[in-house]
Order: sequence, then C-alpha cells, then structure tokens
Amino acid sequence: MGKKTIVPIGPYHPLLEEPEFFKLYCDGEIVVDMEWETGYNHRGIEKICESKTFEQVFYVVERICGICSTSHPFAYANAVESIAGVDIPVRAKLIRSIVGELERINSHLLWVGLAGHFLGYNTVFMWAWKYREPVLDMFEIITGNRNSYAMFTIGGVRRDIDETKAAQLLKVLDDVKKKTDLLVGAVMDDPVIHARLKGVGTLTAKDIHDFGSVGPTARASGVAIDVRRDDPYAAYDMVNWKVITAQAGDVFAKAEVRLLEMYESIAIIQQCLELLKKEEPGNIKAKVKEIPPGMGLGHAEAPRGEVFHFVKSDGGNSPVRHKIRAPSYNCITTFRRSCIGGTISDAAIATAAVDPCYCCTERMVQAYDYKSGERILNAADLIRLSQQKTDALRAEMLAKGML
Amino acid sequence: MGIKEFCFKKSLWVFHLSAGSCNNCDIEILDLLTPRYDVERFGMKLVGSIRHADVLLVTGIVTNKTKPRVLEVYEQAPKPIIVIAVGACPCTGGIFASGYNFAGPLDKVIPVDAYIPGCPPKPEAMLAGIMKLLSPPAPQENKA
Amino acid sequence: MNIEQYNAELKGRFPQIKGIEVVNTKRLMVHIPQEALAPITDYWFNQLQYRYIIVSAMDSADGYELIYHYSDDKTGWIMNLNVLLPHDKPEIESMTPIVYGIEWIEREIMDIMGIKFLNHPLPKRFLLPESWPEGEYPYRRKIRKGDR
Repeated sequence: MGKKTIVPIGPYHPLLEEPEFFKLYCDGEIVVDMEWETGYNHRGIEKICESKTFEQVFYVVERICGICSTSHPFAYANAVESIAGVDIPVRAKLIRSIVGELERINSHLLWVGLAGHFLGYNTVFMWAWKYREPVLDMFEIITGNRNSYAMFTIGGVRRDIDETKAAQLLKVLDDVKKKTDLLVGAVMDDPVIHARLKGVGTLTAKDIHDFGSVGPTARASGVAIDVRRDDPYAAYDMVNWKVITAQAGDVFAKAEVRLLEMYESIAIIQQCLELLKKEEPGNIKAKVKEIPPGMGLGHAEAPRGEVFHFVKSDGGNSPVRHKIRAPSYNCITTFRRSCIGGTISDAAIATAAVDPCYCCTERMVQAYDYKSGERILNAADLIRLSQQKTDALRAEMLAKGML
Repeated sequence: MGIKEFCFKKSLWVFHLSAGSCNNCDIEILDLLTPRYDVERFGMKLVGSIRHADVLLVTGIVTNKTKPRVLEVYEQAPKPIIVIAVGACPCTGGIFASGYNFAGPLDKVIPVDAYIPGCPPKPEAMLAGIMKLLSPPAPQENKA
Repeated sequence: MNIEQYNAELKGRFPQIKGIEVVNTKRLMVHIPQEALAPITDYWFNQLQYRYIIVSAMDSADGYELIYHYSDDKTGWIMNLNVLLPHDKPEIESMTPIVYGIEWIEREIMDIMGIKFLNHPLPKRFLLPESWPEGEYPYRRKIRKGDR
C-alpha cells in the first residue's frame, strides 16, 4: 500500500460558509478513509427552547439554519398543533405551502450556484445567485425579510397575501421558470458536466436505508420518499404535483432531481395562489388557548429532506423537551460511502452533492477525533483540484472531437 | 490622515470567518459578490487566507469551540486589520446568548471596529456599515 | 392501515410489550422493556423496512426515556419505541449492529444526557468541546419523582 496522506478541508474557506473540518485519508489519488470533527456551531438550541414559550420557539428554530428557515417552523408547528388538536384555516395552509415552496426554489438555486463554483463554472454561480434575487425580493414583499421570515404562529400564519402580492408573485414565478429552463439547458446538456458528475459519489438504495437518508439524496437513488406525499400536511394534498426521482444515485442524478423539483414547486405555488382566491381574506389564524400535556411528532419536507421535531408538553408555557433532527444529520453520514473509493478531485463535489447544511446538523453533530497525519493540501487546493479536473476533462473531450 | 485611511483608500480584500453562525449572514455576505450588489466593482473581493486580508468579517456567536480559532485567525492577520462584527450574533449573542456553549460576544474575544446589527443585515446595510467606517471624518471634528 | 390489527399482531409477536398507544393522528408509541429493543428494532428495520428517523432522550421524573423514531413511509405513520431507563443505572445496548446510522445519535446522547450505550463502536466525546467538564450533562433536568 502506498503512502497515506491526510488532506484537510476546512475549517474556513470562502465558499464553504459554515465551519467544519474534514480529514481525508488518501492513498495517492484515492480517498481511503474520511473523518471529520464538528461541534463548532453547537449553540445548544434544544436547551434554549426549553426556556422560551411555545410561541417564542418559532423565532429560535428559524435561526437554526438560514436556508431551511421555513422548514423548521413548519415541522415545529405540525408537532405543536397536533398536541393541541387544532385544525388551521385553509387560507393559512395555502400560505404556509407557498412560503415553503418559495424557499425550496431559493435553496435549490443556491445549491446549483455552489455546485457550479466547485466545478469551475463561476458563471453558473453568478447566474444562479442573481436569479435568486427576485425570489428574495418576493419574500421581502410577502413576509418582510429576505431570510428568517417569522411567518408561522401556532394556529396559522402571521401575515396575509393579498391580491397585489399574489399578482407580483405570479410574475416572478414566470421569470424563474424561464431562468430555470436556461440553467437546466446549461447544466444538463453540457457533456463536460456529464463526464464530471456521472458515476461520482454514488449511493445505493441500501446505503440510503442504512443511514436513514432523506430528501433529494434519497430520491436520486430511486427511493421515492417525500413527506409531502407520504404524510400530507398544509396544502400538499390539495394540489397536483409529482415526486421527482432518479435512478443512478450519483451527483448528476442529485442535480437532476433538484432542478426538476423547482418546476414542481412553481406549479404548486401557482395552484395554491388560484385556491387562495376562493378563501376568505383575513382568516389566517385559528384560536389556540393553551397547549395541553402530550407529545407531538411533526415533520416537514425541507429542501434537503425530512426535518423532524419532537415536542413534549406538560401543560405549561414552555416545551419540556424539544428534539430537533435536521435532514443533513442523516445525509452527511453517507459521505463515508460516497467519497471513499473516489479521487481527491471528486471529494469537493461529492460532499456538496448532499447539500450539507452544517448549521442544521451542528446542534447535534458529533466529532470524530483522529490524530496524526501529514498535511499536503488545504481547502482552497481541493476546490482548485476539482476545477482543474473539469478543465482537463474539457481539453480531453475537445481533442477527441466530442465537443 | 491616519494610517488606516491611507492604507484603505484603495480596494479592500475581505476575509470572512464564521464563528458558529446559522448561515443567514454568511449567505448575505456572499450575495454581495453576486451581480445585483457586485462589490467587486469597488475592488472588494473575498480572499482565501487571512494573511492577504484588510478586513475581517466575523459572523456567528462565538462558541467554545470556535473561540481558539477566532483568536488564532486574529493573531495571523496582518495589522492594521479592520474587524467587523456582522449580524446580531457577534454583536451581543442574539437569541443564543443564553445557551451553554456561548463564549462571546465578539468584542470580549478580539477588538472590534464596527458592528452591523440585523438578523440577518441586508447587503445594503453591510455596504453602508463598511462605507461609514471608512469615510473621512466630517470637517468640524478636526477643529479640536 | 388497520391499527387495531397491527397492534394485536405486534403484541402477539413480542409479548414483552408493556403497552401500545396511539399518541396522535398516525403516531404510535410502543412501550417496551430494554430486552425487547433489539428484536423489535430488527423486525421493524430489516423485515418491515421502516425508515430510521432519530432517537430522542428525555430526563423525566420516572427515569431516562429513550424514544426511537421510525417512519412507515407507505402509510405515513410514525412508529416509536419508548424505553425507560432507571436514573441510577442509565445503560442500554447500542443498536448500531442493526441500524448502522444510529451511531451518531447514540454518541450525542452519551455526551448531553450521560446515557451509556454498551458495545458502541466509537464512544468518544464529540459535540461539546474537549474542555467541557466530565460528568456535566447539560440536558439533565434533575427533577425526580416525589419532588415538589
């Protein structure tokens, strides 16, 4: 066996926004083992929630993660409302779904941009993030903020969507659809991207089952699970939409699933806005006097997968225990199967493929503590390696006349 | 004019450090690079190493685990360096100040030159904060 | 899904089950003793192919409650196993041989609640920093039965 070297990624790199520290054990070019150390983002949120009232917890959980800002309140609301046994007004269900799906579009566009950067397509990064801006503007118009919307409350939502805002939203969606077509064309039809992403970071259906992975990570391996269809909540059983799956389980399949899901999200929002016209404006909140003793298990489909909240109440003002499980917790663990056996230049894109949200995971992630090793490459080098591989592949394909 | 103003008349190179953040502020900082705000036209760019940076942008509450890293990065930074605390978390700890893993706020760990509050602060607010920090003082203030 | 039929069949297979209750719409809670955990986990995870969600740990007045959450995606039910451990002996067998992905959450619970998972493949400190004092478990509430 050749010399083993350790290649650390992290803790800080301009495009890995969150701090985490990976160690890749390499034998020449091939990754043979992988460990990481986290706990940097651990803020003790579950404990903080025990000292807040049920209503205040919404504002804490939406700051678990900037991108899944609606998904955590969604699951928490599902959990608490199931304890209280309250059925929320239809208008509130529709508004919740609209905000949830807008967030999905926002998150997937963000991911496409980041993936583009890791591969060396900086134009894709700039475009994708530019196309996010109208979506963020819509968030500001509907909810008052670009991130951390504070839309949810126990029993419904806090702000209504009136006719003018609905019309503006429809216009923005048309625009997003055209831009998604552009991105899909640029990404899916590019032979260099096919060569770069196919067969990389593959996960089988058995891997998905072993780790309990969810979301696009699971759907790209043919495992058709989606909380919106399996255990419908809010307005998802009132509209027509499909669960998008792919079979290959590699990074290309994951990208495909995310891009096609954006079309479904646009369709869901358009249908919800239609249904909204039939509901009485202003009826957005059911009255909930108190939360009785009991247990609530709520889940919602975040852009990264199923987010799960377990809330225990003893009839008081605060939850006795609030357990939060973010989707990335069960998806990041799959790195051991997807990265090991691949090359170092593929490590950056294989890890980005599950769309890891370290701040969601960090509240309860654990640290593996490996010692010793020799450092030859740092984080910037790894991203550069990935970008170089793309260039080399493109040159090779040009020479062979494949482009 | 002071050495800071002299050095920083030209373009700024920025190093971004996340000391345990929820990522909202980090994404808004990256948004500054994108075509809508496009700070690269001012010459500002994100660099990969603190040793090349003029400005250190810090987000996140400082957790027990990131505190030594924040100190290390500050030690390695070439002086003078401007430290900006972006977001409610490094300013005061925000809603996480009552957590058991809170080791901040940032100004208890390293000296801070500017605070940009918000959860998250809009990119316009960040630009305004940086500009305010670097604008020359108004003429009346020089009289004393 | 016919829940009464399901409950009867489960009780027939695993007579050690202490109680089954439907907690909320489509949420089932099965109270079991420690010894029954491995066989039922194997049945649910491997035979019925339920999806592993996560494990919650609570410090209640009666003991430490460990709730293993699984999802039956075909019907939308969330199925839960509730194990009560005594306060003076919080130990239980690790489920990692059956559910590979449970490794992480067991390490987390060891750190924050101080429950010991026997035969765990890598029982080391993780979430909390190295400088965190031994024996301090932030999520223990220390309210015991009989407290006023």
